Amino acid sequence: MAILEQGLIIGLMALGVYISFRIVDLPDLTTDGSFALGAAVAVRAVVSGLPAWVAIALAAGTGALAGSITGTIHRKLKINVLLAGILVMTMLYSVNLRVMGGPNLPVPRVVPERAIQSFEEMSGSTGLESLFEEIDIDTEKRESRRTVVAKNIFNNDLDGSDLTLIILVISAVTVVLSIALRSDPGMTLRAFGSNPSGVVSFGISQNVLAIAGLTIANCIIGLSGGLFALYSGFSDATIGQGMVVTGLASVIMGEILLGRVKLFYGLLSPIVGGVIYQTLLSLAMRYGYRIGFLASDMKLLTAVFIITVIGLRQLSSSGRKRKVKQEVKRLWSNSKI
Amino acid sequence: MVEFKDLTVVYNQGMENERVALKNVSLTIPEGQFVTIVGPNGAGKSTLLKVILGEVQPTSGLYIIDDKTMNCMKPHRLAEFIGRVYQDPNTGIFPALTIAENLIIASKKGNRPFRFSSVKEEAITLLRDLGLGLEDRIKTKAGELSGGQKQSLAMVMAILSKPRLLLLDEHTASLDPDSASRVMELTARINREYDITIIMITHNMEIANSYGERLMRLIEGEVVNDGIREILSRATSVMC
Repeated sequence: MAILEQGLIIGLMALGVYISFRIVDLPDLTTDGSFALGAAVAVRAVVSGLPAWVAIALAAGTGALAGSITGTIHRKLKINVLLAGILVMTMLYSVNLRVMGGPNLPVPRVVPERAIQSFEEMSGSTGLESLFEEIDIDTEKRESRRTVVAKNIFNNDLDGSDLTLIILVISAVTVVLSIALRSDPGMTLRAFGSNPSGVVSFGISQNVLAIAGLTIANCIIGLSGGLFALYSGFSDATIGQGMVVTGLASVIMGEILLGRVKLFYGLLSPIVGGVIYQTLLSLAMRYGYRIGFLASDMKLLTAVFIITVIGLRQLSSSGRKRKVKQEVKRLWSNSKI
Repeated sequence: MVEFKDLTVVYNQGMENERVALKNVSLTIPEGQFVTIVGPNGAGKSTLLKVILGEVQPTSGLYIIDDKTMNCMKPHRLAEFIGRVYQDPNTGIFPALTIAENLIIASKKGNRPFRFSSVKEEAITLLRDLGLGLEDRIKTKAGELSGGQKQSLAMVMAILSKPRLLLLDEHTASLDPDSASRVMELTARINREYDITIIMITHNMEIANSYGERLMRLIEGEVVNDGIREILSRATSVMC
């Protein structure tokens, strides 16, 4: 069940990758940074005593902000989208370290309800004043330093409640996206991905669409980062490393299984792909050692998988073209006879 | 009415590789006129087209549509006045969207509010008028259509928002002769029935000598011939 739960969260991240790579056709590399940002912000928010749902919303919001920055750099400063993504991803590494206050941050079992941070807060005066007069420390304030159990939305009990919660979130995101992409602005977003220069002919600004597309994609990625961190119980500076490749692998796996089909199934395909990717990953980690695989080989295997699938697709399409050419030649020579 | 007053475009001005693409071009195209522009490569046809679309700013001179100066206007703002169809059939449509979705996008100019629009009856009528049976296939992805069908759909999309000017850049060049003549018939009908000003750029002299009421020849950035098509095409045997 844990594999399914993790796979679904990875699938949600892959849905964000699907939006940027397939719907708006902008190869966005912000993913690694925005996933980690979502994770960092969610854990920091819970540590600060905010409810987990607010933490998840903040994760999605900051992810969206990261995406909009990539979009703005790309469109307004005319920087290639790949480079814009790399730049924002690099910036986010430092931002994430600041958010977490270190290289990693665990989701605490307990959080202080009212943490007293300083001498000034306890005494009601500054340290300098204490040099001249006697300070009466308020013991009541000290006593108010109680702790409560941190309210994480995941209990990791494998009782099905975590799975239900994840499925609910993913269903809500997929349904909202499916409806929104059928609306007039959603349709123009898909049109932009299909023919970017064509939208200008109909008076639609490319800037608005590119920024909107990357904002939505990274909002979903940030959301999945937040969920992943709360589910795993920690956030780490390297938590997003290789996520764009994982997302792409999931998108490709989903497309192999479901094909490039109607919009709704198209949105489901990266989620299905994510679950399969996570299952394969778990199998490789569990049994791979028998044939000499290490857990650290997974990134290599994922990248090789993507190259193989894309390569095979190219080869099969050029093979089809060759066949068509041969058929046309044959018909042409027959007609001459 | 579309007007160009002393329009000059100089690329790389002040540099070693400075090139004058358009030289003091002055034209007045009355409303509803069908103008064909011909000329060899490098004559300035594409530059004129880019100026009209707002993709290139004139170095000097004025570009006016209906008494409104269009210099410095952004391409997506100019789209409010201009419909366009290019040589590649895939550039005028959205291949990943259905025919219906293509028509919905084309029905309105500009960024849209959150609404769920359906295909306008007018769009279906236009599609039916093409006689290609596309009105029965509106759920089909536009990318699955043939080149001629795509170009016809692009023409319908270009006129749906009732532009002041329809710009056609070699729009039959990639089509087979049958499809090309069908698309040209559609072009002439659009000009006749919708009274839309058309500027067509072509290398095909057969088409240039058969369609439109005004023929113009550009050479090295200057208008060297400009007149009624029937007279000019009789007078000049080889224009391109």
